[in-house]
Amino acid sequence: MKAMKMNTTISKTRLLLLLVLALLLTATTHAAAPGITGPIFNLTAQAAFISQPDGAAVYSWGYGCDLSAPQPVFAPQLTTTPFCYAMQVPGPTLIVHENDTVTVKLLNGLPAAAGNTSILFPGFNVNATGGVAGLLTQEAAPGGTVTYTFTASSPGTRAYYSGTQGDLQVEMGLYGAIIVLPASVPANCTSGLHAANLAAEAHWSESDFRLAPAAYDHPDTCYDREYLFQFSEMDPKIHTAALAQITDIATCVPTQSRLTCPTTLEVPTEPYQPAYFLINGRSMPDDMDPNYAAQYPHQPYNGNPHMHPGELTLIRVIGQGRWQHPFHEHGNHVRILARDGNLILSGSTITYPGAAAQALAGRLEFTTDTTPGQAFDGIFYWSGKGLNWDPYGHHPGSSDASAKLSCTPDANGYNTAAPTAINFWEWCQDHNKPMQVAPFGDVAGGGPATLPDANILTNGAWYGGSPYLGPNATLRATGCMPTGAAQTNAPNCGATGSTPPSGTIANPPSSEAGFAFMWHSHNEREITTNNIFPGGMLMMMLVDSREFVIDESN
Amino acid sequence: MKKLYQAVLFLLLCCLAPLVANAQSFRVQCPTSTITHPSSLHDNNSEPAYTAATTFTTGSAGYLTPTANVNGAIKCQQIGGGDGLSTMGDGTQIYMFSFGPLSGLADIANGQPGTEFPNAFNSVYTDSAGNPGTFLPGDPATTVNAGSGPNPVPIAFTYNGAVGLVPDPNALPIDPVTGNPCVVSNPNSAPAGCFTGHVDPRAIIDVGVMNGNIPAPLVAIDEDDELFYTLTNVGMIMRPDLFEQHTVHFHGYPNASTFYDGVPDASVAINIGGSFTYYYLAPDAGTYFWHCHITPPEHLQMGMVGQLYVRPRQNRVPAGASLYDALVAQQADNRTKCDSTQDILCSNPLPFGASAASAPRAATGNYAYNDGDGSTHYDVEYPLQIHGFDPNFHFVGMTFNPEEFSDMKDKYFLLNGRSYPDTVTPGPLATQATDGKMHFAQPLPSIINIPAGGRALLRISDLDVTEYQTLASLGIPMTVIGFNAKLLRDQAGNNLYFNTNSVTLGGGESLDVILDASDTTKYPSGSVFYLYTPNLDHLSNDAENFGGLMTEVHIN
Repeated sequence: MKAMKMNTTISKTRLLLLLVLALLLTATTHAAAPGITGPIFNLTAQAAFISQPDGAAVYSWGYGCDLSAPQPVFAPQLTTTPFCYAMQVPGPTLIVHENDTVTVKLLNGLPAAAGNTSILFPGFNVNATGGVAGLLTQEAAPGGTVTYTFTASSPGTRAYYSGTQGDLQVEMGLYGAIIVLPASVPANCTSGLHAANLAAEAHWSESDFRLAPAAYDHPDTCYDREYLFQFSEMDPKIHTAALAQITDIATCVPTQSRLTCPTTLEVPTEPYQPAYFLINGRSMPDDMDPNYAAQYPHQPYNGNPHMHPGELTLIRVIGQGRWQHPFHEHGNHVRILARDGNLILSGSTITYPGAAAQALAGRLEFTTDTTPGQAFDGIFYWSGKGLNWDPYGHHPGSSDASAKLSCTPDANGYNTAAPTAINFWEWCQDHNKPMQVAPFGDVAGGGPATLPDANILTNGAWYGGSPYLGPNATLRATGCMPTGAAQTNAPNCGATGSTPPSGTIANPPSSEAGFAFMWHSHNEREITTNNIFPGGMLMMMLVDSREFVIDESN
Repeated sequence: MKKLYQAVLFLLLCCLAPLVANAQSFRVQCPTSTITHPSSLHDNNSEPAYTAATTFTTGSAGYLTPTANVNGAIKCQQIGGGDGLSTMGDGTQIYMFSFGPLSGLADIANGQPGTEFPNAFNSVYTDSAGNPGTFLPGDPATTVNAGSGPNPVPIAFTYNGAVGLVPDPNALPIDPVTGNPCVVSNPNSAPAGCFTGHVDPRAIIDVGVMNGNIPAPLVAIDEDDELFYTLTNVGMIMRPDLFEQHTVHFHGYPNASTFYDGVPDASVAINIGGSFTYYYLAPDAGTYFWHCHITPPEHLQMGMVGQLYVRPRQNRVPAGASLYDALVAQQADNRTKCDSTQDILCSNPLPFGASAASAPRAATGNYAYNDGDGSTHYDVEYPLQIHGFDPNFHFVGMTFNPEEFSDMKDKYFLLNGRSYPDTVTPGPLATQATDGKMHFAQPLPSIINIPAGGRALLRISDLDVTEYQTLASLGIPMTVIGFNAKLLRDQAGNNLYFNTNSVTLGGGESLDVILDASDTTKYPSGSVFYLYTPNLDHLSNDAENFGGLMTEVHIN
């Protein structure tokens, strides 16, 4: 029986190895909220196999781009190698502007046995033309089309999904997101700290991957970075049964023992026992591969959030499956701005920088529930405020200029006047404050905590190699500068004191050394892929020091 | 397969060999003075009153040091990571991967937080004559001769220090005249310099093995405290094949540090035979919780989950002084201020429309948050944590079988690690473990005792890993005042509290509920109400169609 346990251990190890290999092979590329712009969309619904990290190819249905129509325009504009094939899960993210007249033409390219299909756009007043009458909306018959037209009446993130036999079609993958950008952007979103943030990006040759500077026409919905996460789950039994019946219907010939052939699907969708738990159609670790990675032609979107300290990060989250998932964001709380595009506001007005407006009244949550069919927009940031030690490991006695940066607090205590500095947005109250009792490498002692012998610790693949943020601090804390560079902190280089050396690859100490936080479903059995841990609804969010360039170009 | 296993085992033994030669890796940390809490400005063995924000000056080392109004203190706690057995409501003993107390033993057994000031934590276990004491395996249950039925509280055991703590014989230079000043007959009389965190591993193993609790030891700190939280991994003696690491994840901590976040993928994990001290300055007040983050679907289901809450500095405002003014005073320190127009994650702005000198601090009771209006006042508080145990998975966890995650199905539904009717059994519950010793594996009853006319704060958290759970109040309405460790208040300062008869939580969520029994006509002394789950299939203890997620509320 012991060998059985070894089996799971080995599969875990193998998975980790695969993951490490995948990370080695791909450049550091991150997420954003990629999609196609409108306001006219030519979509199709088709069948294809989507890939899972356990090696499974799962028969699925998804929306995609009608390849006979003109190629869509992709956003954000800097996306380098985008594609929109005839089928993808989730469907293409539709990006439009407030007050646009949106037209979505759907061609039903599903196998004939699957019957009609359609799209619902909850939250919009939709006019459906063409197609055939269905229960909830006009539907496209096999090979036929239907057209939906509506005004993008208000900004925000919303779901779209099939309105035809939803228990089967949504499970099979027929869902997607529509993002409406505000018609006007509040002035404070393009000035002050947000302008300083753009200056910092420009200094480090980092591009702006936002779809807009604000999520809503409200001065407290400005953001500096954004991500879209769609949560769903899959029961492979349903997908296997659908494929078997589709094949059977297509190939069945009446015989004496089987006098009539079936013509429609009778796939049982209960009892429901999902084994795959997906973020943007992928399971961990695939979700952390780039957007539009060639190995996932039908799962173009990833889940790999990165941000710098102090950046306001908009997360657009949709529950696309039939279950709720408690989505836990490590690192800080999320301010819920809106649900299904409806801003949650107080009856009272307060004065934000530059403008008075109704105060936000959405909750602050460290675990945000995803609810079937529902979307929320939220703002997250990480600043390191209140740690009570300097995460940059600043050390006034160092000979390294980067160890001796200054920190000038603004009215709220952050170092925001120096956008080009590594420690832009540092929390100044803890500046130079040591964490470790004993000095180590080029990091000062005198702090409260004694770190143990590194031999009793096991390092993770995303461990940056030291308690400190960024390559400069991490290299100083581990005692050495990179090979070839001048050893500015001799004679400490090469010492192996209390900070474990790290050979991690996912978050290299010498180039990234970010603070990695796990964002995952807290129904913890859902962070598995078909019973293998780790997997499922799990991704790592990295807070990167300002010197690390976050590249979301694909 | 077998050959590979042998090869791995050989490799492992080779890896372990240099470790054995190392110095001991168990140790505890609890300084009596720090940069933030210099003992020269404040005795760290008590919480000072909050009268003003701390003032700072830049010291010679280039960082801020306090000059006056030092707030908060130093708190320490030690826990052991290992395994244990607990008893379900139908009498079934269930195997757990679990944490147990290795400090605050008496407080934990009495249902209290095991978080101690330095003077309590840094005391050495001695007998009544002051001579070094010897723990018995299973302590404190063994020393107090615990039974499997109700055990009286307080228990006849008072030691709350760090298990294993002894003067370090190598700490001070050996004095040629007096001998070694750290080797003395009464260890508590040794010079302060003898206490380096050095521990006797025998005591840790004797107490720590099969010492698992459900829920894991309770942590309670005050805002402005520094917490030194030592995890000592004693190994899982019933699963020696696993050599599992453990960690502590402080769930919900704002602006967490990844190093102390406990995610093994993103940080360090603690091997068997080692101790690691997690260090945090207390975050904003609220109901958090903690758990191991190694293979979460396994270690959380198996029981490595515990409770943690942070009390607001408003509690420390002198009685009669204005809570509003105290909240205004907090705005003077950028760390404690909350300005909605500047910080989108600020949760407790000044109450809307309130004025200076309003809301005097009550003479008794406490507050859940820095509300500035006294609206979160309570007389008694109860942490309540919801768990689900799947006995099949626990059996697999005890044996050597591959684990299935997707068909995990809980059959025991627990409040503070117990099912009804055990939830209303007072005192700690003991289970005889495989070492033949009784262990206080389930120290926390969840019977809610409210003084007549009083208000109870329920700090409810859910660490079930499989499904959402609903808890309903039959009788006294629930007033939800906090959610995910944040006051329910909009950015303008309007309270968003609401009344309900039930709350629903997913795994990894918490909220704060006040049961307001101030109307003694409706809720007279002697009445009994219930908290129970309307997920009716969860009112069961496996095959017993009675029990589960339920407890009683008594008006005293």
